Amino acid sequence: MPFNQKPQKFNAKINTVTIGTGDKTVTLGGNSTFPFYTFDAPTVNTPKVGVEISDLGLEALPEGAKAYYEGCTTMADIAKKAAAMEGADFVALVLEGGDPNGEDKPVEDLIAVVKEVADAVDCPLVVEGCKNVEKDSTLLAKVAEALQGRNVVVMSEKEENYKAVGAAAGLAYNQIVGAESAVDINLAKQLNVVTTQLGINAQNIVMNVGTACAGYGYEYVVSTMDRIKGAALGQNDNMLQMPIITPVASETWGVKEASASEADMPEWGPQDERGIDMEVMTAAADLASGSDAVILRHPQSVAAVSKMIKALA
Amino acid sequence: MALSGIQIFKLTPKKNCKECGCPTCMAFSMKVAQGAMKIEQCPHMSDEAIASLSEATAPPMKTIKIGAGSEEFSLGGETVMFRHEKTYVSKTRYAVNLCTCMDEAAVDAKLAEIPKVDYERIGERMYVELVNVKCAEGADAAAYTALVQKAAGLGRTMILECSDPEIAKAALEVCKDSKPVLNGANPSNYEAMNAVATAAGVVLGVTGADLNERYDTVAALEKLGNKNLVIDVTGADVKETFANAVLVRRAAIKDQDRTFGYPSIVNLVALAKGDLHLQAALASLFTMKYGSIIVMEQLTYAEALPLYGLRQNVFTDPQKPMKVETGIYPINGADENSIVLTTVDFALTYFVASGEMERSGVPINLVISDAGGLSVLTSWAAGKFSGTTISKYIIENVEPKVKCRKLVIPGKVAVLKGDLEAKLPGWEIIVGPREAVQLVKFLKDLQ
Amino acid sequence: MLLFDIVFNGNDTMYAEAVEAVNAAIAQYGEDMAVGFPDTAYTLACFYAETGNKITTLREAKEALTYIKSQMLRERRLDSGFKSGVATALAAELIEAMKYLNGAKPYEEPYLGHMSDAQIRELGVPLVTGDIPGIPVIIGPAPTVEEACALVKSYQSQGNFVCLVGGIIEQLKEAGYKTGFNVRVYPIGENISSVAHAVSAACRTAMIFGNIKPGDKAALQEYTFNRFRAVVNAFAPLDEKTVACGAGAIYYGFPVITNDMDYTPSVPKSLIKQPNIEEFNATSIEARDIRIKITNIDIPVAFASAFEGEIIRRKDMRVEFDGSRVDCAELVHTCEMSEIEDHRITVIGPEVDDMPDGSKNSIAYVVKVAGRNMQPDFEPVIERKFHNYINCIEGVYHTGQRDMQRIRISHDAFNAGFRLKHIGEVLYSQVKNEFDAVVDKCEVVIYTDPAECTRIRHEVAIPIFNKRDDRLATLTDESVDVYYSCILCQAFSPSHVCVVTPERLGLCGAVSWLDAKATNELDPEGPCQIITKERVIDENLGSYEDVDEAVQKYSRGALEHVTLYSIMQDPMTSCGCFECICGIEPFSNGVVIANREYAGMTPLGMTFPEMASMTGGGVQTPGFMGHGKHFIGSKKFMKAEGGIERIVWMPKELKEFVAERLNKTAFELYGIENFTDMIGDETVAQDPETLVAFLTEKGHPALGMEPMM
Repeated sequence: MPFNQKPQKFNAKINTVTIGTGDKTVTLGGNSTFPFYTFDAPTVNTPKVGVEISDLGLEALPEGAKAYYEGCTTMADIAKKAAAMEGADFVALVLEGGDPNGEDKPVEDLIAVVKEVADAVDCPLVVEGCKNVEKDSTLLAKVAEALQGRNVVVMSEKEENYKAVGAAAGLAYNQIVGAESAVDINLAKQLNVVTTQLGINAQNIVMNVGTACAGYGYEYVVSTMDRIKGAALGQNDNMLQMPIITPVASETWGVKEASASEADMPEWGPQDERGIDMEVMTAAADLASGSDAVILRHPQSVAAVSKMIKALA
Repeated sequence: MALSGIQIFKLTPKKNCKECGCPTCMAFSMKVAQGAMKIEQCPHMSDEAIASLSEATAPPMKTIKIGAGSEEFSLGGETVMFRHEKTYVSKTRYAVNLCTCMDEAAVDAKLAEIPKVDYERIGERMYVELVNVKCAEGADAAAYTALVQKAAGLGRTMILECSDPEIAKAALEVCKDSKPVLNGANPSNYEAMNAVATAAGVVLGVTGADLNERYDTVAALEKLGNKNLVIDVTGADVKETFANAVLVRRAAIKDQDRTFGYPSIVNLVALAKGDLHLQAALASLFTMKYGSIIVMEQLTYAEALPLYGLRQNVFTDPQKPMKVETGIYPINGADENSIVLTTVDFALTYFVASGEMERSGVPINLVISDAGGLSVLTSWAAGKFSGTTISKYIIENVEPKVKCRKLVIPGKVAVLKGDLEAKLPGWEIIVGPREAVQLVKFLKDLQ
Repeated sequence: MLLFDIVFNGNDTMYAEAVEAVNAAIAQYGEDMAVGFPDTAYTLACFYAETGNKITTLREAKEALTYIKSQMLRERRLDSGFKSGVATALAAELIEAMKYLNGAKPYEEPYLGHMSDAQIRELGVPLVTGDIPGIPVIIGPAPTVEEACALVKSYQSQGNFVCLVGGIIEQLKEAGYKTGFNVRVYPIGENISSVAHAVSAACRTAMIFGNIKPGDKAALQEYTFNRFRAVVNAFAPLDEKTVACGAGAIYYGFPVITNDMDYTPSVPKSLIKQPNIEEFNATSIEARDIRIKITNIDIPVAFASAFEGEIIRRKDMRVEFDGSRVDCAELVHTCEMSEIEDHRITVIGPEVDDMPDGSKNSIAYVVKVAGRNMQPDFEPVIERKFHNYINCIEGVYHTGQRDMQRIRISHDAFNAGFRLKHIGEVLYSQVKNEFDAVVDKCEVVIYTDPAECTRIRHEVAIPIFNKRDDRLATLTDESVDVYYSCILCQAFSPSHVCVVTPERLGLCGAVSWLDAKATNELDPEGPCQIITKERVIDENLGSYEDVDEAVQKYSRGALEHVTLYSIMQDPMTSCGCFECICGIEPFSNGVVIANREYAGMTPLGMTFPEMASMTGGGVQTPGFMGHGKHFIGSKKFMKAEGGIERIVWMPKELKEFVAERLNKTAFELYGIENFTDMIGDETVAQDPETLVAFLTEKGHPALGMEPMM
């Protein structure tokens, strides 16, 4: 008696969101199965990989990544090199220099960086804020304005500033809104609800439902994403059907497993390898749980993760 | 359909005889309903009752034990597809691969490398638990047995990847007491392999060209009376392997198809030989989705640190938060004159906060007292992180060891400041930031 | 003259001017001449939004006139009045467009005329966020230059975007008042037709930010009414054209406030007569329901949660107020809108300066609130936050509540200039900010006069407290129309949903029905949602189709049925933060309750943690249920199985805690006195056999009841 394979059919699907313009676009979502369950239904759009670059340049990068960007002196150079990375689908610019608790760069300076990067590459763009909700309210509104017509994702719209960021990105300048919540299905849904109540089309929203580094409370990430996909597909909950973009690099490169030098931890071995594996494994777990796109830093991570995606498609 | 404790209780003798080890029949029934005990453990249950209950209460996926002594591991026994539904029961176990195709130097290098990874993380020993020993095409019994014997020297539980019954029999002769897995039964050899495995008393791994072959082979082996099995789901490529892993688990749990109710083996060496980063990605993928044993080419600290962290997270009880040990954790080379910070013993809080403290570069004595494994506000609300609990811990454990009398408390419990000032005379109580991400700036400003 | 006729006349005049302007333009340039305002993709936005047609040439402008004429109905009905009002605005827009022909720049400083799309987009974001709370449009000259400046300043300081038309612009110029887009004072033009630029801003905001389809009149009107918080202030004397424009404004939802007292009849909420220019601001804010954001608190010391735990010791204390020794009170009091002047803070009695150093004094503060959605049930919810608010002030310490609060003000705070009125500032700003969903206006009165404090405490506060307590006591599941769901715990327990009713508070013990209700009103998308109770399945079990649907929805399908009053059939689930668990004890035919603090064994043969492992995580375990301590004394406690009569065992400590309420309920329901004496505890029995023997001896009613299973 052969094995009776029962497919799991869902009548709902994840929204389709296209980022970028012209012939260089990427499309997220559209699938009606759990991630990579090609045996239930064919995958419509495979998950995408973004390359993270920062307005702070190359300084904080791991050695292997620094080597990749060797010779780049301007943000334009860095952006071009990032876009050309093997396996890269889009570039994600993080404006971390804007953080009032850090460099506290003025908004105008950051907008100059944004424009420089946008002018240098024609690939789809994602822009993340500086993590400070007040600064992001003004900063991201200006980002949305500066990139009119590029159809970019403006990330870091949060519960505290959804009106300012959402209205600017989603209404005034017709960008895609990246709604960010902290690893909780209800918070994610609530933010989508209030965002759509502003008048923003649900089809123009992507979610960052929060992530963690593997080993650092990652169980919450797994369950949040499992449940979001379950509700989106199984319950046809249209306030949770937005594709998920997960910024992985910003979580993984800061933990001590990735940041401790080999001199400090000789038994742990080469630092770059630890960092890459931390990034790769966290990204793979995110993808297995339901991320429609991940944002990574190291060229070897980008290559490995995109290879895995292709192998599973 | 699972039975409720009340339904089970109705079938018990209701004598409260305590012979099963439970104080009451009610307690016993509730444990059976949860799957923590078996109905047969009641000595007074009637045969009819047992017959009607055992089918209903049997878990959809068998728990298979491999290894012996301290190296014994349980695989399978899962009841859900997603961890938020109920705790995953048996952790994924990782094996490093050895092969007769490797030269001696390579084998020795691996054997030397494997024991290097051995550390503790939140109360759990992290090391390479399993070794996969592959018998390559054309290898003879002597060569394979020699390799197995050498591998056995590590004292880790083994998987013998071998589909030749004769060679397997010879190899098992030298290691069967350590209860390895014999992985290599397929439609053409399963009868002979079954004989070898049952004679040696070890778990048998089943493979095949596709899921149908595996399904039929398992069914045939069960007919022969062997239910001590694992299923090797490794297919021709990554995509097929992932499909196999998910479909086998889903058939067992969602569709109650007990033929596939066994743990799985995923062999990444067969899928991505030489590509270590791809193997890393896949190890993570199959930890998330239904690999019971994952065979890898190498498992150094680079792979182990994220992978074991991930596993520790994924295989936690969703209702029970992870706790770290109480104590004084010196950070950035802190000594008795360094400032004291305190927070709760909730593992997530500890990791996030200590990570930021490390980034600050400021020497800190991080004091963790027992807060019930809850987050700052939750434990405060529950009275487990209060002026009384903190001051008691500080007086008993910190004052004898640390000279500095500055204590930083989390911003979310700023309300404790006055109480702590009263209860900790001589201490300056400083209210820290509300979020861990603000710690770096806060600590630098404080200096 | 009837208001209708004034509108019609004004409309006719404006239309005639438009016809004249268009004809003159055609004569000069020919019909193919391009028409449009600079830097906009919406050409004539008012016309485009209303009709869905773009006017791009003079030919089309002429055709537009035909449309406008068709809207100018002349029956004396409301609909005709509104249509004529809109037609007036459209005619005005055409007049303005003719000024911009052939690249002309008709407006010069200080006049600004048309706004670009970029400016609309820039304006739109703060409009959506509420940073620009409203858009007052002021028409005509104020009686004096001073009044003109004062009115504009009052709006500007609240963050509003002020549009100006007509004589007031000259008045501001004369006073040297700074104007411009960036300072949010926007002088449009001299003639009333220039008001079309303000209407154009509203229409473009609707199309850009509201996704309103051009031509969808109903959606446009709904958007401007709900989202574009414009209000018109028109100074006397009103001419007919202005009144006609006003009709258009009212159609779009923008009330008109005027000081022209003898001209027109007033229309409630739409056309309001206000003789006093000083009151224009308050009247406008209230009429248009504009919500002013409070960004900073005006006090001389810091306000932050870091000061929440600060304790002021006697030696550091300048003065204290102590409700346990003298008459004090703190109170939120719901009033009518008209009874309150927003942001007024009054101190009645001596200030701190007049109190001896280190002295003990009386204080009573009454926070008067009003709002369309305010309900007296929210008063205690707001009041409970006072402790937190006052404690966050640097150098001020607060404990207790109601009429038992104690406040200390430190020397440092006093020396920095802190006075009692600043407590008022803090209460005002925090209440307005945090409860903006229900509080539209807020006024604070602080009494320090001892006689007044005595009066407030005994004649005002205590009767209100008593009334509230009575209401709480009489709130029953039957007396309310809705219950609430609570999913605050879902982060830990994904499939758990609490159904909160008046007699069954959340199992954590922290969320009462009133709390859930307030949470829902304040945050309509938040964790507490309304559950109706219209479709009863079984009254005794407490099962409702509505409840089942809600539970299915909020547990995302994990739960299908829940009963409110049974522990045997579909009992309510638990997250894991329950204070207590009750479980069926088959040998005595009753239930055993264990509380979280109890570490020992129960007669069930299970400890609290063992019971908890079966009931947490949103799973339904018939025979077991998590609940709050206060639920034990409820008449609804496992009502379906016979109620509290079933309770056979509790830890001693818990028994003592609930004794008073439980005994009262037992007496009311069954006439049993001192029911708790019949209930076993760990000193009596920790196994079923001993327990049954004890219950038999006491004659516990459960033994004689129907079997539970």
